[in-house]
Parts: sequence; C-alpha cells; structure tokens
Amino acid sequence: MVTKSTVQETSSEPPSSPTPVKPETPVTGTESRDAATATATAKPTVAPNPPNYQSDVNVPSYSEWFCWDKIHQCEVRFLPEFFESRSPSKVPRVYMYYRNSIIKHYRADPSRKISFTDVRKALVGDVGSIRRVFDFLEAWGLINYFPSALNKPLKWDDNKDSKAASNIAASPSNSISKDDSTSKRNCNCNHCKSICSIACFVCDKYDMTLCARCYVRGNYQVGVTSSDFRRVEINEDSKSDWLDKDTLHLFEALMHYGDDWRKVAQHVGRSEKDCVSHFIKLPFGEEFVGSTDIGDVDAKYKQTKDAGDAECGLGSCVTSSSNKRMRLTPLADASNPIMAQAAFLSALAGAEVAENAARAAVTTLSQVDYRSSIGSFGPQARNARRHEADAVSNGNTNLNAAEGTWVDANSQLEKEELDVERAISGITQVQMKEIQDKIVRFEAMDLQMEKEWQQLEQMKNMLFVDQLTLLFNKSSAQKTG
Amino acid sequence: MKGQTSALSKSTAVKFRIPTAENLVPIRLDIEVDGQRFKDAFTWNPSDPDSEIVVFAKRTVKDMKLPPVFVTHIASSIQSQLADFRSFEGQDMYAGEKIVPIKLDLRVNHTLVKDQFLWDLNNFENDPEEFARTFCRDLAIDDPEVGPAIAFAIREQLYEIAIQSVASARESRISKKGRRGAEHAIVSKAGGTAMDLVKLFGHKSSVVRKRKEWDVYEPIVDLLSNEEVDALEAREERNGR
Repeated sequence: MVTKSTVQETSSEPPSSPTPVKPETPVTGTESRDAATATATAKPTVAPNPPNYQSDVNVPSYSEWFCWDKIHQCEVRFLPEFFESRSPSKVPRVYMYYRNSIIKHYRADPSRKISFTDVRKALVGDVGSIRRVFDFLEAWGLINYFPSALNKPLKWDDNKDSKAASNIAASPSNSISKDDSTSKRNCNCNHCKSICSIACFVCDKYDMTLCARCYVRGNYQVGVTSSDFRRVEINEDSKSDWLDKDTLHLFEALMHYGDDWRKVAQHVGRSEKDCVSHFIKLPFGEEFVGSTDIGDVDAKYKQTKDAGDAECGLGSCVTSSSNKRMRLTPLADASNPIMAQAAFLSALAGAEVAENAARAAVTTLSQVDYRSSIGSFGPQARNARRHEADAVSNGNTNLNAAEGTWVDANSQLEKEELDVERAISGITQVQMKEIQDKIVRFEAMDLQMEKEWQQLEQMKNMLFVDQLTLLFNKSSAQKTG
Repeated sequence: MKGQTSALSKSTAVKFRIPTAENLVPIRLDIEVDGQRFKDAFTWNPSDPDSEIVVFAKRTVKDMKLPPVFVTHIASSIQSQLADFRSFEGQDMYAGEKIVPIKLDLRVNHTLVKDQFLWDLNNFENDPEEFARTFCRDLAIDDPEVGPAIAFAIREQLYEIAIQSVASARESRISKKGRRGAEHAIVSKAGGTAMDLVKLFGHKSSVVRKRKEWDVYEPIVDLLSNEEVDALEAREERNGR
C-alpha cells in the first residue's frame, strides 16, 4: 500500500520552511526525529516523487495503510456509519469523497494546520459526519501531523501504536490480546511516563492516561479538552487480593459464559480487566483458555490429561473439580453417544476406578476373542487386541473403554456381514430354480408345436391328393361325355 | 389521522420530513455580538445527539477564533432551529403530485450562481448534496465552498415547501365540511408553486421545453472580480440593515 500512495513520505524539515523539493536522506531524518521525540515510532519511508505536491508530507508509520483508492479495515471500524447502509447517502463512496477532499485540502499546504470549519465549508454534506471523518483523520495523523512539534504527538503515538498493533495485526479477536492493549492504562502516565499513585486522569475518547501534574499543566493532544478527562482514584484497596472464593466465582462464570467477559465480570463482581488479568496470572490459565474452544478433541484431550495428572496431586477441590469437568467436555461433545456415555461414566466413577474397570474389561474381551472360533473375527480381534495392548500400555482410561467398545462393534459387524451373504445366496438359488422350470416348460411347448405342424403337413398332403383325383375325374368325364 | 384522500390528486398524508434522501435540516446562523458578525449556513443531521451541538459550537468558535461568548449563541441558535424542525416532525404533510421549481440565486466568495430547475417533491430519494456535487463538477466550479451553498439553498427551499404543506394539511383537516372548496384551497396554497402536471405532460404538450423558456432554466455561473464582490457585499449589508 505504501508504494501505491502518490505522496512522498519522508522526513521533513521544521514546518517553517515548507518547500524543499529534494528529499533528505532517511538517516538524518530519523536522527533529527529521534532528537525531537523520545521514541521514534514514526518511520519515514521514501516513495516516488508526486507531480502535484512540492513539499514533503509526513505520514506516521501507523497510518501507512492509507490509500487514495481504497478503504482500510480500521476506517470501517472507526466510522461504521458509512458502511452500515443506514441511509442511502451514507455510503463508502461518500466517505471516500470526504476523506480524500479533506486530505487534499490539507496537503495543498501541509505546513499549516487546517481546521474543521475550513473543511466543513467546502464539503457537501451534514456537518456531523464530516466532523467525525475529520477527527478520525486527525487522530491518525493523516492531517495536521507535525512530528517535530513538541512532545504532544508522543502520547498519541503510544496509544495509536498499541491501537494500530491490535487493529492491523488482525488477530482473531482473542479477548486476551484486546485486553492487553486496553489494560495498558495501568497507571503509567502517557506523557511523563511516571507511575500514577494517587489519581489518574483518564480520557476514554482517546484512551490516554495522564498523571495529575500533566493534566494540570494542560499538555494534551490537539483536539482533546480538559473536559474529556475523568478522574480515577487509585486506591490500593480496590485492587485487593483475589480470595479463593473470588477465583471460584471466576471459574464458574467462565464455565457458564466462556468468552463473554462482561458477564463474567458481573458474576465475579470485579471489573473486566481485573478478571482477565487475574485469569492470565493463574498458573493454569493457559489451559482454561483452550477449554472454551472445543475444536480439536485429541490435542486438547492430551492437554487435560496432563493437567489431570498434574493436578491430581494438588489438594484444591476447585481445580480438580473443574479439571474433571473439563475432562468431561472434550468427549462429551463427541457426536458418538457411546463415547459420551463412556466419558460420562468414567468421569462419574473417577479416574482410577474407570481405568481399572476398563483394563479388566479389555482382558476379558481378549480372552473371549481367543476362544471364539469364527475365523473372520481373528484378524479383527488381533487388531483390536493390539490396540488394546497399546491402550493398556498407555494407561489411558477413557481410551481403554473406547477400544473395548470398538472391538464389540467390529464383531457385530462381521456377524451381520455373514448373514447378509447367506441371504443373498439363498435368493440366487431360488431364482435359478425358477428359470430352470421355465426352460422345461418351454421345451414341452416346443414339442407340441412340432407335432401339430406335422399333422398340418399331412392334412395338406391329403388335400392335394383329393384335388388331384377330382381334376382327374373331371377330365375323364369330359372325355367320355 | 390520515388526511382526506381524494381520488383526484392522489394525496396521501405522510409524516413530516424533508423530502430528500437524507433527513438533514438546513441551519442558518447569523449572530452578532459586540460588533462581530458571524454568518454561516450548513446542514445538520437531526438524529445526531444534542451533545453534538455544543461540540460543534466549540469547534467552530475555536477554529474561527471568535470570542467564546459565541459558543452559547451558536448552540442556542442551532438548538432553536432544530426544535422548530422537530415540532413539525410528528405531523402529517401532503405528498401529492408536486413538482416545484427551485431557484438558485447565491453568491459565494467570488462565484455567482443563478439557476432554476424543477424538483420532484414526492421522490424522497432526491439528494440535494448529490445535485450540488454534480453541478460543481459539470460547471467546473473551482471554489469548493459553492457546492455546500447550493445544497443548502435547495434544502432551505424544500424545507419551506414542506412546512407549507404541513400547514395546509392542518387547515384541510380543520375545514372538513367544504371538501371540494378545501381541495381547491389546498391545491392553490400548497401547490402554489407546483406546476400542473397535466399541462406539462398532457397529450398536447411534449416533454421538450419551449424555446422561450430555455433561458430561464439555464444555469448561469459568473466569476466576479474583487471590486464587484465588495460592491455586492456593501449592497447586501445595506439591504439587510
């Protein structure tokens, strides 16, 4: 996308001299940038020289996605009104028209800061949405971006970077990563980097946190007023320890609500961020994370098995009960009802009991198989036994039960097949008999036909003879008479 | 609560709204405080929350570097105009066959625009903003402030007409007795500026406009020089006072 942009993105000199045509080398640019800002979050890149603009334009690296012709995902997210087809004139085309004209307006003279009112006068449309687009562009540094001016953009860069990272990284909305960025407001002042102890001032609009001193001094970003901040007291008490019952509530809530952190927070009685941060900090937090997503049964099953082995030693009823519940879940959701039953029973009975029972069942089954005389079962039984041997050696409780049932199922299958074969052969025999009878009947008919035909022949001959004699007599009568 | 339906004019009552695609309210500001005059005109979305008004006022004052006393004036002016609009909102208005002529006669900085055209009041998908954009593009108007001004002028006139139709709907409801008479009154009042469709598109006439009317409907865009602008401004102020 960077190559597509028609604007040269390099470092610039201070805003007072706006018309250098030759680009500076990026090295010096970054150095001066570094000097000006503590953290060089904006990386200038060199792009081909555009024909229209004489001066260089800065675009921060977190806005590199910008492209004249396209609409990026974060634009859709920040300004949903244009993309929800709520009204026929709030369409992406209109959004692009606003955005492009605002940016063109700014880039006509990048050294001066354009105000919303200038822009508003020149655009056709309702001022509310124009203002929102303007704010969005300003926030992302696509307009009115002056990196060498004070440290004001610093706070911006931090938050925008974290926002950009969480947006552009496009992680599949894992609640953990989202909370990582938002729980950043952990009482470090964005401006002077000191830890806020007594009171913070939080701006929700731009997700900034300032300590009291910075707030009072008034070093905000442009566009943020003092009224946007709200006071947040940091009491050490409120972030109290998590008691066991709190943890228990948390687990219960997780079981019920899964990923819906709002409900979980309600259930526990703490803020969402507290819940999540505590959850992550728990020693087995990772496995619980995997539990809510029941996709891959096997992998997860192994996970829970390990957890079960590890946790069996622990005495806390909370973890073992929840682990037991978890061991239930992977197989309980399998579509096979037999497996579900087996899982349920084994969970109820307990790990060791189920394991022993399965072992005993498998050994008896194998004995039965040895005694069975049906040959076709042999190889199957052998396979089954091999499986069982493996299973037993693994010591997998549920897997044993699974193998036993699998063997049963296979033998039944064999019996069915034999029956079917017998039935088919019987049917074919009957049909053959029918055909034979038919053939015999046809032969009899043939014989009869032959006889009749011969009779017919005889009669024809006799007729011929009669005709002859008649003629003879006639002619002799004529002669004499 | 429906207005009377007459077979003739197919007039049905519709809830009041600006008859355009987006229900935007034209807002005109003309505030004078301590000798400083602030004139502005823009379109506002009535579904924006009221907090927007204050934000907008503050923003405008800051951008235009006006004294802060303007904030309250601006906000209250916007609010009162919005309240007017909302007062009409619940009521019915007639949405009969109405093609109205819209006249543009405005001066924005150095550009003078004069135009007249027909607008269909019934088609709620009409969009003055779209018209303004196309107008500026077709006539290659450089000044970017002309577009919004045109859209605003159109909207204002549509707003006026919509208000009139609400008033006439109310009147017709009141005077239920003389139905026929009221109908004529409606047609004459609300459709005062409306054309008679039959005349335009009837059997004998064609859709093509008569030659003598061409001049009337042609857009005129003039670029003025600085002196002319000053002269016009002075004249306007004199007229205004």
